[in-house]
Amino acid sequence: MKFSWKILLCSLITMAAAFGIGGYFFVNDVFKASLEREIGQATDDSNILKFAFETAALNIPSKYDMLQNSVIKEIGANLENSGQGSRRFLRLSDEDQKVLYASEGFVEDTLLLSDIQEQTRAYQIIRPDRRYYVQTGIMVHALDRVLYLETMRDVTEVYAERARGFAVYRGLMLLILICSSVVMYIVSYWLTKPIRLLTQAARKMTAGDYSCRAEQISEDEMGRLTMDFNHMANVVEDNIHKLEEEVRAREDFIAAFSHELKTPLTAVIGYADMLRSRKLDEEKHFLSANYIYTEGKRLEAMSLRLLDIIVTRRYHLEPQDTEVESLFAYLEEIYAEKKEIRVVFQYEPGRIQVEANLLKSVLLNLTVNACKASEAGGMVEVFGRNEEDGYCFAVKDYGTGISPEECRKITEAFYMVDKSRSRSHNGAGLGLALCVEILKLHGSELVIESTPGVGSCFHFQIPGKGTDSRETKGET
Amino acid sequence: MIQILIVDDEKPICDLIDMNLSEAGYHCRSVQDGLSAIDLIEKENFDLILLDIMLPGADGFDIMEYIKPLKVPVIFITAKSDVHDKVRGLKLGAEDYLVKPFDVLELVARVEVVLRRFHKTDHILTAGDVMVDLEALKVTKSGRPIVLTNKEYGLLVLFMQNKNVALFKETLYEKVWKDEYIADSRTLELHVQRLRRKMGWEKNLVAVYKVGYRLEI
Repeated sequence: MKFSWKILLCSLITMAAAFGIGGYFFVNDVFKASLEREIGQATDDSNILKFAFETAALNIPSKYDMLQNSVIKEIGANLENSGQGSRRFLRLSDEDQKVLYASEGFVEDTLLLSDIQEQTRAYQIIRPDRRYYVQTGIMVHALDRVLYLETMRDVTEVYAERARGFAVYRGLMLLILICSSVVMYIVSYWLTKPIRLLTQAARKMTAGDYSCRAEQISEDEMGRLTMDFNHMANVVEDNIHKLEEEVRAREDFIAAFSHELKTPLTAVIGYADMLRSRKLDEEKHFLSANYIYTEGKRLEAMSLRLLDIIVTRRYHLEPQDTEVESLFAYLEEIYAEKKEIRVVFQYEPGRIQVEANLLKSVLLNLTVNACKASEAGGMVEVFGRNEEDGYCFAVKDYGTGISPEECRKITEAFYMVDKSRSRSHNGAGLGLALCVEILKLHGSELVIESTPGVGSCFHFQIPGKGTDSRETKGET
Repeated sequence: MIQILIVDDEKPICDLIDMNLSEAGYHCRSVQDGLSAIDLIEKENFDLILLDIMLPGADGFDIMEYIKPLKVPVIFITAKSDVHDKVRGLKLGAEDYLVKPFDVLELVARVEVVLRRFHKTDHILTAGDVMVDLEALKVTKSGRPIVLTNKEYGLLVLFMQNKNVALFKETLYEKVWKDEYIADSRTLELHVQRLRRKMGWEKNLVAVYKVGYRLEI
């Protein structure tokens, strides 16, 4: 059953019960008051009749000491007819509860008489022939005789009124219920709208549309639920995007990897095939064998680099206290011979907690890249300086530069700025990927600032002694 | 002499193709970047261009635009093997598409097919006194016609296209029978023997130990 129907049904049941019980008590209360009044009227009537009877008895000439039964009958008949406009019902009985006079149509049973006592009157509601009457009984003393005077008052109207009240009330209640059920249906439809919107959104998301969001139409708990749902959807969407990005990176890696494999493989297979199937002259024989060797070496270098990256990812770092000077001395030694590109070193002395061999490889990679990007006769600068919370290295060139979208991809394996993947500088496009992995181990990050045509600056900061994060990051 | 231009950024690959096509009797030039390729195409006439797609300077698709009006047939050579690139290359008007790593024999065969399609090559193969007309499918020895079966003809053409080259049994079988070679199968040997007898090549068509056969002319 739908939630909106449940709300509707519950509210209707509650309303029906409330109206029903309330209505019953109200109508009944009105009825009781009317009945009370009628009973009061009936007792008043019987008082009046008693007084009239006693007066009539006194006025009878005292022929006898005792009131005769015939006289009583006569008085009874007189009393009955003396009512103004309305007929009185009365019955007179003697001491032995024997009926002396009764109006026509008076009930026959005399059970009420036994309840009548001196100074008390009795009454009861009786229902002969589908009509309601209040029957009263009272004791009358006249000329030494004790008589019973009974009256009957028609109260059918009161009962009929109650029945009418109930009928009107039932109709009214039905009308109210119908109206309120329409209103409640609209209200519950409105209340459950956020739920329906959420359901729709959830279904769409299940179908794969992760950009779908539920519309927030209220500020209450439902609104908050929608907000939380949308927030969750955002997180899920982000994660999906991240995963997709990762899958893309991985696919690119595989595509690049197979591409990088194919070129040297073509050469190796082709030359080997020539060697085995043809009689080549001395020169060509050497050339072919040499190509097989160099291309094989290229494959080897690539596989070693790949292995480096994979090993580095799982490497447990053991940092030593290292003099910055020793790192720069290593680079200076390598570039001392280099003539076509001037490499300038400028650094402040300092001590850092690193694995020197790994950091040397990072610096060398960055410097080699900077040289590759530079024209012959250009300049590459390598800086080192103490910062507040660590030691900062920077490698700056004035070469070709990298566009912003390439900056993001440049650290991916096999990525090369030159689209042709020209290997005139003999790289595999794995150097920066390795640098990033090594720096990650040291709790550092490679920052690339570059402008096409102006030059690039690669810099990173090794956290200093003050930071404890180094050790924990080293283990991850 | 048929002029072929090889454009590939890898010197080893250029040299490999150059060596093989030169052996097959073509004249080759090779360049390693797109811009010098365009220069050369404008300056000189070529009968066929072998084009790599990823090139420094201008890529293969760019160069293709330059070649189009010249109506020089082009075979793309690339390491990219996805269908999208293949279709793009062929749509641009390339005659064929070769994916690295390729078989040298296959390269030579494809070059020949494309050249024949453009009637740039002689459709007559000769070896000594034997002549094969590739279009009329006619084989003659000293002017005398020789009747060959389909498979024998296939073998003959392969040998004559690769004179003085040792052809592997696997290669021969795969090219002619278009099926995987099963070691110890005598089918190939029987056909080669019959071909030898029919052509009178008992001395020329020699078996190469552990490799296959070589036509020595």
